[in-house]
Amino acid sequence: MPHLLTTPDAPDPLHRPFLLGRLEELAAWGRRNSLWPFGFGLSCCFVEMATALTSKYDLARFGAEVIRSSPREADVIVIAGTVFAKMAPVVLQLYEQMMAPRWVISMGSCANSGGMYDIYSVVQGVDSFLPVDVYIQGCPPSPDAFMHGIQLLSAAVGAEHRPLSWTIGPQGVYLPAMPVQRDAKREARRAQGELPSPE
Amino acid sequence: MTDVSDIIQRLRWRFPDVELTEQATADEVPTVWVGVEHVRAVLAAARTECPLETLYDLTAIDERARVHRAGQPASDFTVVYHLLSTTCNHELRLKVALHGEEPTLPSVIDLWAGADWYERELWDMFGITVMGHPRLERILLPSWWEGHPLRKEYAARATERPPFVMNDTVRAAQEQALHFDPATLGWARHTEEFDYMFLNVGPHHPSTHGVFRVVLQLDGQEIHDAVCEIGFHHRGAEKMGERQSWHTYIPYTDRVDYLQGVMNNFPYVLAVERLAGIDVPDRAKVIRILLAELFRVISHLVFLGTFAQDLGMMSPVFYLFTDRERAFEIVESVTGARMHPGFFRIGGVAMDLPGGWEAQVRDFIAYMEKRLGEIESTVLANKIFRLRTEGIGVLVSEVALAWGVTGPMLRASGVPWDLRKARPYGGYEQFDFDVPTGCNGDCFDRAQVHVAEMRQSLRIMAQCLRVMPGGSVKADHPLTTPPPRERMLHDIETLIDHFLNVSWGPVIPAGEASVAVEATKGNNSYYLISDGNTMSYRTRIRTPSFAHLQLVPLLARGLTISDLVAVLGSIDFVLADVDR
Ligand code: SF4
Repeated sequence: MPHLLTTPDAPDPLHRPFLLGRLEELAAWGRRNSLWPFGFGLSCCFVEMATALTSKYDLARFGAEVIRSSPREADVIVIAGTVFAKMAPVVLQLYEQMMAPRWVISMGSCANSGGMYDIYSVVQGVDSFLPVDVYIQGCPPSPDAFMHGIQLLSAAVGAEHRPLSWTIGPQGVYLPAMPVQRDAKREARRAQGELPSPE
Repeated sequence: MTDVSDIIQRLRWRFPDVELTEQATADEVPTVWVGVEHVRAVLAAARTECPLETLYDLTAIDERARVHRAGQPASDFTVVYHLLSTTCNHELRLKVALHGEEPTLPSVIDLWAGADWYERELWDMFGITVMGHPRLERILLPSWWEGHPLRKEYAARATERPPFVMNDTVRAAQEQALHFDPATLGWARHTEEFDYMFLNVGPHHPSTHGVFRVVLQLDGQEIHDAVCEIGFHHRGAEKMGERQSWHTYIPYTDRVDYLQGVMNNFPYVLAVERLAGIDVPDRAKVIRILLAELFRVISHLVFLGTFAQDLGMMSPVFYLFTDRERAFEIVESVTGARMHPGFFRIGGVAMDLPGGWEAQVRDFIAYMEKRLGEIESTVLANKIFRLRTEGIGVLVSEVALAWGVTGPMLRASGVPWDLRKARPYGGYEQFDFDVPTGCNGDCFDRAQVHVAEMRQSLRIMAQCLRVMPGGSVKADHPLTTPPPRERMLHDIETLIDHFLNVSWGPVIPAGEASVAVEATKGNNSYYLISDGNTMSYRTRIRTPSFAHLQLVPLLARGLTISDLVAVLGSIDFVLADVDR
């Protein structure tokens, strides 16, 4: 979150040489709170992704409800479903049509690794040809899991540094580390004593 | 039920010189073998004289590795025609033995137009050349694919093959495959007065509900002709059956029509139980029916929500998905999962219902009954909805039957064919419900039939609530899965028995059975062949969406592009159900 306008003890902005750094943060803050997903589904997982948009889950709370049908207007492509060999080149083409900055979420076991489909027509993981930012596990992941994935991506996007111009300031994209959630949650999970009965 | 000898007897009288070999099957469908030189004549007679007006299914079996087939004619590849008559409620399975590595077979497209895709699938999956087919190309796999996956020698696992690499060659091949040339279809580029326009819809398009593609030949806004391309969603579900144990295949069935959850398990477990001779206890039967009907409501809600959205109504999808969430609360508390519960087991269901289920189901029924009235007044009575659906995409019953249409789509055309009534399975004969039908067979009727069916499903669920019998939820039979744990810890014998049954799975007696259920979108059946092993020898999944999607060009001709969206929405297909 940029502190540009809110930090009371900031020196007079006009005398600061590093205004650009702050503007960059403002842009990142804007990006992280308005991730526009590409309305692209492959399989069962997409139904759960679409469910996350509906009233009970309300993805709009995280600013990610503006589904775009054109890749050119979207920020994040969610590979929701099985990646078929026949479909893979189409997926890649759609990804290439998205404009940078762009992110990839791999949703569900199929997209992550082929899942339960170790079969001739299925690509064993979309990361064999796309750079994946967040993996969401599950078959299908529940809408809650999908929202968690969006939040993780959003936090990472907020921490990214990207140059605002190709002439001024340092170039190159700084991406934050994305730790494995399993490790981050291990202690809390171990501490859990009893699981509540479904009744 | 069919009188087995009757149809075959009639064929014998009609063809006294043709050798017709009868075969007994576990499902008691009259099954007869005929030589390839007579197959067309026999099929033509069966179609018009018996009359079996529907080509229900057409598939093949690679027999080269099969051991238990005593009494059947020698064969390398067997092609199976499954014919059905909805008017007389009888059926016939006709088998043709083919020999050699490159078998050929005459096409039957002129008898049943719907044979088109099925015959292409024979070529794609088995390498059987269908002579006389106008466009014998691959259908499920891309045109650059090598090999025929349902042949026994084909390596099924992706991990047994070289890893998938995305390089320029693959992309160029794919681009070439997606390239569309009207000449290959025999489509004219222009008439004397004007040029046609060609428009590609899909494989990624919001109105296709998944990954498939339609190419349109347009005269302005009007669709002159259309052609569908499928196969973008082929996950080898049938091949998968040949390497999973009978038990571990259940989760794969869930994902065939991913909107109908346990409804997919239903025909599969019924077919296995038929082969194994297992009788399911009453409580398990009623639990199955309760969940299957709940999933019918869930699937129909998605249908209606997405259909309304396709026609430009923004809010229904939100209301209907919220209702679906209420249903999922029940599914979650009963099965622990949402979309893919895999809850049915060979011989019963996975576990008993949780405490408090009655109240949950009762509340849901009361809520939904009221809600359906609201749906009718907000969606079905909406003027724009009506204008965009009434008289659009009309399907008359004769065409529907010839193309193998079943389910709500057939009933919307006025044919009251419902397997739950016509051939009650799994305990449906005990339940009281109506079969709603439409009269015009247009998009509107299809939507209306769906809503009426949800009412009937609620009615059945209410009866389940009233009559739920006590007792066990799993049959007491050595072949049920997983085997009862209490029997395991007595001595080494029982332990070994349990260990084998869990690790390898039960050995299902050799035989063939096909069981169909009235799934949410139409008749869904599993044709299982056991070779006396822990895995199925051949698993054939007959899905309704495959038959229905084939009709798109027929329904679309003469309509505008926006009507095409209505037609696609009204068909209620799921691509996983089409491509398997
Ligand atoms: S991960 Fe599971 S739910 Fe998702 S597409 Fe694959 S099979 Fe379907």
